[in-house]
Amino acid sequence: MDFEAKYEISRAADFICTRNFTKVALQFPDELLKDSVRVVKVLRNKIRSIKGESDVGLYVMADTTYGSCCVDEVGASHIGADCVIHYGHTCLSPTSTLPAFLVFGKASVSVFDCAGNLYKSVLDKGKPVLVLFGLEYAYAIQSLQETLAAKSSTLSNSPSEQQIQFADVMNPVLNPSDYKTSNEHLGPSGTYTHGRSDGMTTGMQYSIGGLTWNLAEGCKMEDYMLFWIGSDNSAFANAVLTFNDCEIVRYDATENRLLSDTSNQRRILKRRYYLVEKAKDANIVGILVGTLGVAGYLHMIHQMKELITKVGKKAYTFVMGRPNPAKLANFPECDVFIYVSCAQTALLDSKEFLAPVITPFEAMLAFNSGSQWTGTYVMEFRNLISSSPVEPGKLSEEARFSFLKGGYVEDVDIQVAENGENNTGRALALADATEKALQLRDKYPNTLVNGTAKSGAEYLASRSYHGLDMYSIDSTAEPFFIGRSGKASGYKDESENRTS
Amino acid sequence: MVKFTVEGLRRIMDLKHNIRNMSVIAHVDHGKSTLTDSLVAAAGIIAQEVAGDVRMTDTRQDEAERGITIKSTGISLYYEMSDDSLKNYKGERQGNEYLINLIDSPGHVDFSSEVTAALRITDGALVVVDCVEGVCVQTETVLRQALGERIRPVLTVNKMDRCFLELQVEGEEAYQTFQRVIENANVIMATYEDSLLGDVQVYPEKGTVAFSAGLHGWAFTLTNFAKMYASKFGVDEGKMMERLWGENFFDPATKKWTNRSTGSSTCKRGFVQFCYEPIKQIISTCMNDQKDKLWPMLQKLGVVMKAEEKDLMGKALMKRVMQTWLPASSALLEMMIFHLPSPAKAQKYRVENLYEGPLDDMYANAIRNCDPEGPLMLYVSKMIPASDKGRFFAFGRVFSGKVATGMKVRIMGPNYVPGQKKDLYVKSVQRTVIWMGKRQESVEDVPCGNTVAMVGLDQFITKNATLTNEKEVDAHPIRAMKFSVSPVVRVAVQCKVASDLPKLVEGLKRLAKSDPMVVCTIEESGEHIIAGAGELHLEICLKDLQEDFMGGAEIIQSDPVVSFRETVLEKSSRIVMSKSPNKHNRLYMEARPMEEGLAEAIDDGRIGPRDDPKNRSKILSEEFGWDKDLAKKIWCFGPETTGPNMVVDMCKGVQYLNEIKDSVVAGFQWASKEGALAEENMRGICFEVCDVVLHADAIHRGGGQIIPTARRVIYASQLTAKPRLLEPVYLVEIQAPEQALGGIYGVLNQKRGHVFEELQRPGTPLYNIKAYLPVIESFGFSSTLRAATSGQAFPQSVFDHWDMMPSDPLENGTQAANLVADIRKRKGLKEQMTPLSEFEDKL
Repeated sequence: MDFEAKYEISRAADFICTRNFTKVALQFPDELLKDSVRVVKVLRNKIRSIKGESDVGLYVMADTTYGSCCVDEVGASHIGADCVIHYGHTCLSPTSTLPAFLVFGKASVSVFDCAGNLYKSVLDKGKPVLVLFGLEYAYAIQSLQETLAAKSSTLSNSPSEQQIQFADVMNPVLNPSDYKTSNEHLGPSGTYTHGRSDGMTTGMQYSIGGLTWNLAEGCKMEDYMLFWIGSDNSAFANAVLTFNDCEIVRYDATENRLLSDTSNQRRILKRRYYLVEKAKDANIVGILVGTLGVAGYLHMIHQMKELITKVGKKAYTFVMGRPNPAKLANFPECDVFIYVSCAQTALLDSKEFLAPVITPFEAMLAFNSGSQWTGTYVMEFRNLISSSPVEPGKLSEEARFSFLKGGYVEDVDIQVAENGENNTGRALALADATEKALQLRDKYPNTLVNGTAKSGAEYLASRSYHGLDMYSIDSTAEPFFIGRSGKASGYKDESENRTS
Repeated sequence: MVKFTVEGLRRIMDLKHNIRNMSVIAHVDHGKSTLTDSLVAAAGIIAQEVAGDVRMTDTRQDEAERGITIKSTGISLYYEMSDDSLKNYKGERQGNEYLINLIDSPGHVDFSSEVTAALRITDGALVVVDCVEGVCVQTETVLRQALGERIRPVLTVNKMDRCFLELQVEGEEAYQTFQRVIENANVIMATYEDSLLGDVQVYPEKGTVAFSAGLHGWAFTLTNFAKMYASKFGVDEGKMMERLWGENFFDPATKKWTNRSTGSSTCKRGFVQFCYEPIKQIISTCMNDQKDKLWPMLQKLGVVMKAEEKDLMGKALMKRVMQTWLPASSALLEMMIFHLPSPAKAQKYRVENLYEGPLDDMYANAIRNCDPEGPLMLYVSKMIPASDKGRFFAFGRVFSGKVATGMKVRIMGPNYVPGQKKDLYVKSVQRTVIWMGKRQESVEDVPCGNTVAMVGLDQFITKNATLTNEKEVDAHPIRAMKFSVSPVVRVAVQCKVASDLPKLVEGLKRLAKSDPMVVCTIEESGEHIIAGAGELHLEICLKDLQEDFMGGAEIIQSDPVVSFRETVLEKSSRIVMSKSPNKHNRLYMEARPMEEGLAEAIDDGRIGPRDDPKNRSKILSEEFGWDKDLAKKIWCFGPETTGPNMVVDMCKGVQYLNEIKDSVVAGFQWASKEGALAEENMRGICFEVCDVVLHADAIHRGGGQIIPTARRVIYASQLTAKPRLLEPVYLVEIQAPEQALGGIYGVLNQKRGHVFEELQRPGTPLYNIKAYLPVIESFGFSSTLRAATSGQAFPQSVFDHWDMMPSDPLENGTQAANLVADIRKRKGLKEQMTPLSEFEDKL
């Protein structure tokens, strides 16, 4: 395939020139990094040919901190870039500060074979079909539609036009202001829930991972069969989990095969259900910041914190880049982590993790008492922002049933909070606090078990090792001596040795 | 025909010396419920005529269909003693009216948790034993439980009618049978004797043994006959009673009592001469319709029949006559009133078993004195589904004080720790209810010594709890019940329609509440699991779940699943090492099997993480041969910090070791919960930390580096120590006639079971067989057994122990390897086990 066409060099150059950007960050995922030098060279030539002289600085960024599908705004701001051009697979999550141009890339697909398969499945199922696709196949949709039209005109029992619907691709240019305006527009009305916008008059508008489509009024997603063109990647998993009521087939373009087995995805869904149940038992919750770019992430983190403290649990926020088991195990006091990130990197499930990692949607299910797992699943946290958080007073009085322990457990702090309302006087509050302080401890001080901790400090206190013993019995003054100084990579005394 | 009113009943509830709380316990099918019904008949709830045909106590439809009791049922009975019969009663009493709170419990071993719950709230037990089948395994189990709770037993030898009608045995033979039954029961009771409870054995001559025919509604104790003959012989009643049992013979020809048979044909044992023969005579006269002979005999005995009853024929006539002559209710109720303790009496010695707190505080004293003016102490032993769906009555016993409608109570759950707020609620009782047969009646309040049901607390009590007054913040809870069976059989459920999930979740919550034993959990894979004591138990639970708790929504259930355990056979072949993710830390470990019996000791709580270390090391060194110092180096138990696996520190002089202890423990808790073979719990493995190499900078040896490494090295040491699977094994007891033995052995062989005891029941053609049977093979066992023995054998299975499967799960194609593959598949794991090389690192 033509290199310039694949990387949409001319469109990118247009984007840069028309908006007069002078510092441009080019973001490549690892698998495309090998082409980066060529892209820069070609792009520079192109810009020069448009503008004459080139005062545009092009910078290549690789190895992003978070998922490579999101625009790395923090990385770009290190060089003070005006905009980002993102190459490769993307989740099209809106950016918060920088404009971005997204190049999806083009993967080869046999349009004829795909059309044949699509045509066949429409006839077989007798259901309306919605065609969704990986963004790398977006360029081929036009020709696919044409092939299909040609094909149906030759046959008598052709499916009608409405039976096949194609999703549209969103604008590959992301402007941070877009989100703000749309948020103002949508925020107060609060209808932007569960992936639906407020386009009530024209039916329902849906969007997922950069694809949008409208369903006519009276149609439900469950009535459609989803036909996915693309590989089994996170975008597909996202679609399957979000529309888990729908029948889904996947056309694998690299192998030219139709696959209808989604049992793996269903298993994932069940597993998520388990994680939600597990999260309900958590006392200490860690919020993992999984993005610094996706618009609204700060809002989400605040909302999560509010939710967690409201149900009487303790929340800690962690920024640690892409989480791995070793990093998370440094915080064994956390019973569960909430990973706030873009929809396509949100699912982190490895048995290697000491504590489960869940999405904000799952956290809402787990911590909002009264909310139930109904099967609907929301991956995109932006769709949750405006959905109503806990309404105070809605807390059911019943003790909560824990399926992990197989019995009723009570969340202590809720009761405390209830009682706290009655205690108006400060004196009583003090008495309450002392009552807690004077608890009956274990009979033997040397037991091997510590109770469950309610906060990080409590956890630390219950550990057998608290760090260095400050209260040494020996009260005589220690002679002090000078330790070493410098950086861990080379202390001062070490570097002296090295030079000598 | 209700003979009493709620007000009347409520009035007697205050007479704490005139209350008897008792449970009816026995082996399955020995006639508990039938016998209970004839007692209920006497309290006037159902007509005398239908007693024996309709079971009053089995209120569920499936109970009636299967002919077995599933849930225990409580009934309050009212009985008025005559002054004459009370003249020998030495204990305290307030008038002649008595209130008997009776709980009928199931006999099938799968439901023995119901028995446990019933025993907790009663003071006495009526042990029912079939006179032909004798003392069976379940009789023994429940007796042991009863005595453990300090419940005083009385015995009734039931199904007497079989002796007369079916077997037609002679007097002396029958006496020998009864004598043996009583002896067997006494042997068990003597084993569990308790100094505070005193002599708990039963003696016919003391009136603590009754002879009954539940189906026909008659029963007697020797007191009945002694009274009858005392005046005739002109001797004292007590003396007469002694003569009616044991080695006392009477020859009517010489009119002399002797201590052994004189050999004369007319010389017979007192019991035979004066009790057995007259009954036999009456029964045969009735059965042969010799009415001309019958009426004079009845007249002599002082039995007055109603006119319309005189027209009855055969069996109906016999039943009627016997019921009138020797009514079951008066014999049994009088026996209970005479020999079972009142709450006031029983709580004096039961307080030690019941109360967790100091035995000299006001709560202990209130329980001890059964003080209605004292602080409320109430134990909720079970939750009973109410007629409006989804709600439950909290059913329990008031040990002191009074519980009243509208009263605010402190609910202390099983996990409550005094002084903390965990598992503690303050709520008000909406209504207090007592049972009168099938009817529930609201009462203002219920004083101590009685059983009570409460409305409005079900949202705060899972299965059981202790209630006290709102203000009594210092009260300790009443000790939790200990069950004799454990839930080893599990089944995964899911709903047919995905959107029914909320219903399923709600249903499971209610199921967990309604049954003391069932456990509802969730698997890692997201499947809902119901665990029960046995196949029958699960079947009933699933039926309840679907019909009562989910409103008929359809559910899909998996095949029963058995949980296994992972263990090791030998010490690890070498010391294994794993490196941390940053390669700067190395952990060296070894696994070895625990000493025999140690895992059980941990299970029983004899050794545990909360012990005094000194005690622990004493037990370990004395019983299990541990080194005294080593016993002090146990880092933790696991899984769940209490499980039967350990980590022991064997390192010498390692720097920073105490710093990583918490991390190693966290890794161990995780690994011991999900073993390397099939992610089943580990059991009986002792991990020894042999050496540790750590990075000098604290930041490089944090939890993130150590926890995953500890997990890996534990897996590696497990895999190098010849890992094995443990499977749960049932102890099966089967009672069957000789001709069925062949079939039993056949079925047991086919199911990998083995018989370790076969005994003929003396005096009967019946054999008692005890065998071990793997739980996994037990599904469908009882139906196969019934088919193979044409319905003559009925097994009772109860979880006994974990048994090691001999085959190597690491070798392809072995039974254990196939099992591991199956489990992994079910759990959605990779079918291939993770190889050792993934866990072990090379230096």
